[in-house]
Amino acid sequence: MSTQKNETNENHIDMNTNNIIEIQNVTKRFPVGETEFTALSNINLKIEKGEFTGLIGPSGSGKTTLLNLIGALDIPSEGEILISGKNVAVKSDAKSALLRNEHIGFIFQSYNLLPVYSIFENVEFPLLLQKKSKAERKEAVMQALEWVGLSDIANKKPSQISGGQAQRVAIARSIVKKPDIVLADEPTANLDSTNAYKIMDILKKLNEELGITFMFSSHDSKVIEYLRRVITLEDGKVKNDETK
Amino acid sequence: MDTLYNIGLSFRLAFRNIISSGLRTWLTITTLSLAFVMILFFNSMYTGWEYQGIRDQVNWEFAQGQVIHPDYDKLDPFTIESGHGKYEKDAHLTPVLIRQANIYPDGRMVPILLKGIPADQQIVELPTQLLKESKANIPALIGLGMAQDNNLKVGDTILMRWKDKNGTFDAQNITIAGIFETNVPTIDAGQIWIDLNRMNQLTGLQQEATYLLADAEYNQTTNASWNYQDKEALLKEFYELIELKRGGSSFLYGILMLIALIAIFDSQVFSVFKRQKEIGTYIALGFTKKRVTFLFTLEGTMYAFIATVVGSIIAIPLLSWLHEVGIPMTSNVDQSRKMGITVGEYIYPLLTPELFSKTVFWVVILSAVISYLPVRKIAKMNTVDALKGKK
Repeated sequence: MSTQKNETNENHIDMNTNNIIEIQNVTKRFPVGETEFTALSNINLKIEKGEFTGLIGPSGSGKTTLLNLIGALDIPSEGEILISGKNVAVKSDAKSALLRNEHIGFIFQSYNLLPVYSIFENVEFPLLLQKKSKAERKEAVMQALEWVGLSDIANKKPSQISGGQAQRVAIARSIVKKPDIVLADEPTANLDSTNAYKIMDILKKLNEELGITFMFSSHDSKVIEYLRRVITLEDGKVKNDETK
Repeated sequence: MDTLYNIGLSFRLAFRNIISSGLRTWLTITTLSLAFVMILFFNSMYTGWEYQGIRDQVNWEFAQGQVIHPDYDKLDPFTIESGHGKYEKDAHLTPVLIRQANIYPDGRMVPILLKGIPADQQIVELPTQLLKESKANIPALIGLGMAQDNNLKVGDTILMRWKDKNGTFDAQNITIAGIFETNVPTIDAGQIWIDLNRMNQLTGLQQEATYLLADAEYNQTTNASWNYQDKEALLKEFYELIELKRGGSSFLYGILMLIALIAIFDSQVFSVFKRQKEIGTYIALGFTKKRVTFLFTLEGTMYAFIATVVGSIIAIPLLSWLHEVGIPMTSNVDQSRKMGITVGEYIYPLLTPELFSKTVFWVVILSAVISYLPVRKIAKMNTVDALKGKK
């Protein structure tokens, strides 16, 4: 895993601490006309390394907003989000980009594959930024595709595969760099039951065998079945935090 | 090395992205390469004309420079009367004396400039050896334009009247010893060339000249009170004329270039609008916003790169061929020469490395600037909204 990462790198995540994510007094407000809408209000959470956690709740409860803040895609209006003790919100654009590239994988509801690239190239993409050799990249991509059972369609384009396959490609892309955290926003929302279960099986296996921390946002009962910890959000607040 | 790697990666991604855009890419590239070819065509035509014009004017009229009598102004005909004088002999100077005269072809009176030049001169291409070879009393050379305008041919005699140094009119028949063809109308139109020694005798102006033609070794030590103008100074008006013509034609290819740049601008606006989800994905995967902006700018600029390659494939062989065969200027040449403009019957376009690299540079720079303008907004884009493809 990522234990080989450079100790002097400012983006290095200290794997000795057990809390990989710490959310402290986080509030997020969005401007709506001349007023503001509070999407998250004073959230406090700790996520441990290797957790398989889900944020659940109705639409508008703040699940995706919180996931975006953890992924350094957005910054909180108040409070801090610490990834292994480091506040991600105050990082520069370049540093937060590096953090996302090296430590965080994303799985999106609508897959977000790059249409002009092949499946292989889509999965390879995060590694291009890490300046790995061609041989290293090829090995990592094929391994990731094998994990999701798609090594036979590596040369196809995203437009030539099904939704279930596209989401598995997105999973392969999120884990190819062996990140510490994978953030999955409604990963099964666009899939039928069979594919949804297949996806969750794969993610569970990756969590157990590679030790990657997964954090979901979902209101899909099929996802919830798999979660070991369920954090319920309502109106931007933590309503319940339950470990199975 | 990191920067080089990143730039290399961005180039590869940009190339893949624009090639995958299909028809829109090729339409933009076609328009831009057409503008590129037109720019090269017009500019190489003017460069060819400029080179021809410089060569002809130096070879026929200006030599390497002129030492001009201080009272003579070639733009003021009233100075011909007094604008001449004694000169110091110099092996590197060839005198030319100008006087006003009249000839009477077909019973009409035609005012002309009578010019005397040594018959044994070799500094300009005027075929003055014909003056030496002729047995006529006053042998004369005229240009083809002058011959056509006055219906004159070799061997014709014609009455000429001039004033001598005392202002007394004199008249004699002159004989056309030769008709020369030149692209330089300022030594042809309304002019008769005779041997300087003969002219000295006819006018009584012994060892006087209006201006002296200098060769490359003239060091400006003699005739210091006269005005020396090197060939660059003498060609100034011609350069200005070429620049004026160049400016006029730049309107045409400027419009083409504008259309091509609008096509790039449009593609970029469309890209930023249509590819928001892709932009968000790049950022989520580890690109900085600056880098995505660079990638999109590079895509726009790459249109120009490809267009210059496509344009070069068309323009270089085309202009090389035209440089060999020339572009006929028959419809304009007579009119241009009557206006005193040096122009050949054929213009041979000349595509110089400087012209080529300058054109490529400006096409690429303009495309880069135009490409950057619409994608600047990526830096201000909300990544979360971009990921959702929110317009």
